[in-house]
Amino acid sequence: MGMTITEKICARASAKDRVCPGDMIEAEIDKLYIKDLRFSKAEDPKGLYGLFKEILKEMGIHKAWAPDKVIINFDEQPARSTRRAEGQESAKQFSREHGAIVYEGYEGGIGHNVMVEKGHVRPGEFIVGADSHSCTYGALGCFATGIGFTETIGVLATGKIWLKVPPAIYVELAGKRPAWIWGKDIALRIMAELGANGAVNKTIEYGGSAVADISIESRLSMCNMAVESLALNAVFPPDKRAIEYVKQVSSAAFTPVESDPDAVYESRRRVDLTDMEPFVAAPGVPSNGRPVREFIGTKIDQAFIGTCSNSRIEDLRVAAGILKGKEIHSGVRMIVTPASYGAYFQAREEGLLQIFEKAKVLLTASECGICTRPSLASGEVCISSGNRNFPGRMGNRDARIFLGSPATVAASALAGEIVDPREFLSS
Amino acid sequence: MKKNFKGKVWKFGDCIDSGNIKGVMAGIDPEFHAKVEPGDIIVAGNNFGMGSSSEDAPRSLRDAGIAAIVAESISNIYLRTLINLGLPAIECPGITAWVEEGDEIEVDLESGSVRNLTNGSSGTFAAFSDHAIAILEKGGLIPYLKSSLANQRARA
Ligand code: SF4
Repeated sequence: MGMTITEKICARASAKDRVCPGDMIEAEIDKLYIKDLRFSKAEDPKGLYGLFKEILKEMGIHKAWAPDKVIINFDEQPARSTRRAEGQESAKQFSREHGAIVYEGYEGGIGHNVMVEKGHVRPGEFIVGADSHSCTYGALGCFATGIGFTETIGVLATGKIWLKVPPAIYVELAGKRPAWIWGKDIALRIMAELGANGAVNKTIEYGGSAVADISIESRLSMCNMAVESLALNAVFPPDKRAIEYVKQVSSAAFTPVESDPDAVYESRRRVDLTDMEPFVAAPGVPSNGRPVREFIGTKIDQAFIGTCSNSRIEDLRVAAGILKGKEIHSGVRMIVTPASYGAYFQAREEGLLQIFEKAKVLLTASECGICTRPSLASGEVCISSGNRNFPGRMGNRDARIFLGSPATVAASALAGEIVDPREFLSS
Repeated sequence: MKKNFKGKVWKFGDCIDSGNIKGVMAGIDPEFHAKVEPGDIIVAGNNFGMGSSSEDAPRSLRDAGIAAIVAESISNIYLRTLINLGLPAIECPGITAWVEEGDEIEVDLESGSVRNLTNGSSGTFAAFSDHAIAILEKGGLIPYLKSSLANQRARA
């Protein structure tokens, strides 16, 4: 009986020949990502480093488990509160004393994108991150999942986590992807099909003949959304496209693994992309997706392209293509927050930032920004390329957040209401 | 931590994300923190604790003295975090059908059972792994690590 990619990586990380869903394993971590927020005293009055120091003292050891495997990114720059500033200082102190890599300034952006662009994510690896969207990295054929604050301290001390090997859902992507469909549309559709509970603590494994045509950016967006189905992780096969991408950003060696032809899946589903319509999720939960036509005409106050879900260079190109030579609707504020400074400068070089400026889009620094920072008043409506539309996520609980692809967001910003982006793509 | 305990139930619905759990369920009921008493148990529907991994939400429940969370399903990060904080988090499919707010329920971690003392119905859940029990017994991952690593050192 064969194994899935996830099972193979779990087996390798726990030094076993094979594992099955439900097995408890103690896995060795290849990489730990920590969002700077975790170093602030938001979650514990002693802070992450304070607690970690206590443990080191009691254990009688002096160093974190493997400092070269720890990557920290400043997701808010500059810090907007003293607490956050002190957290960032604490992260730097941790790095000085233990040697972790810290990304800030123009080296940074939104951590999950920085992890990928700086080559820290490679096929076959077992990665955990102190942030729920760490599942994003599965796009490059690794196992990746989010962990909490307390568990992060455990990983810093031991380099290991305990895990129940997840059962896998195989999603076969078939047919031909239309030019107006991106990862976000596909993710919203699959989440709606799986239902709000469809993937709780499971793996979503993508495969099928349509994968080759799906960009790395779109794969990242799809894996990013996996945690919104409460999946433990999501993974794409490390195909030629993924391996070429990783070789561009990293010179380190890696060992890709593929699922065996006789791997066992808990369930299988087939998603035919041919003639697929753009998808939008209604406010509430991200699994509220339906074809965009059901929302057409919904007036919007804010349009947002940003977050670790969809603000990469592909997204910026698509949005700029729609906005080029136009101005957004006078009743809308549109905000674009590039995924990283890498994407930001690339967009500048391609002339995309100038297109946004002329279209009257507010450009912001690359950071998490208004993904969670309140920007919506009661009753306001936002269409966002982000990953979460929970009540209160972006401000007032009575504001409503729709989720859609960057194309849908940009086209809706021009119209002042939710529209089908297809009409705006050809022109 | 007790392996067998009873408590009064506060019942919540499906898909309650951690942002709304923050401040002892403040997003759902701003007065909840004043009503809840130490030893009470939260029973919830599917996907409890979905969303942000931020630990202030589960910590607020622990600090309010909640004895356990029993839900139809719980987000992975949230479930792990609750256990790492020393708070039993239990997935008991079907529970919302036979437990109502105000009922008294009894939870037995070792046998993996929940009994509704108010109406006599009961259900089961997958027993905790030894590892999870060990963490809960120490009151969470940090105290567990301190003692287990100190033990290792003593043996070495
Ligand atoms: S962009 Fe939003 S969802 Fe992504 S890591 Fe930042 S706060 Fe979290």
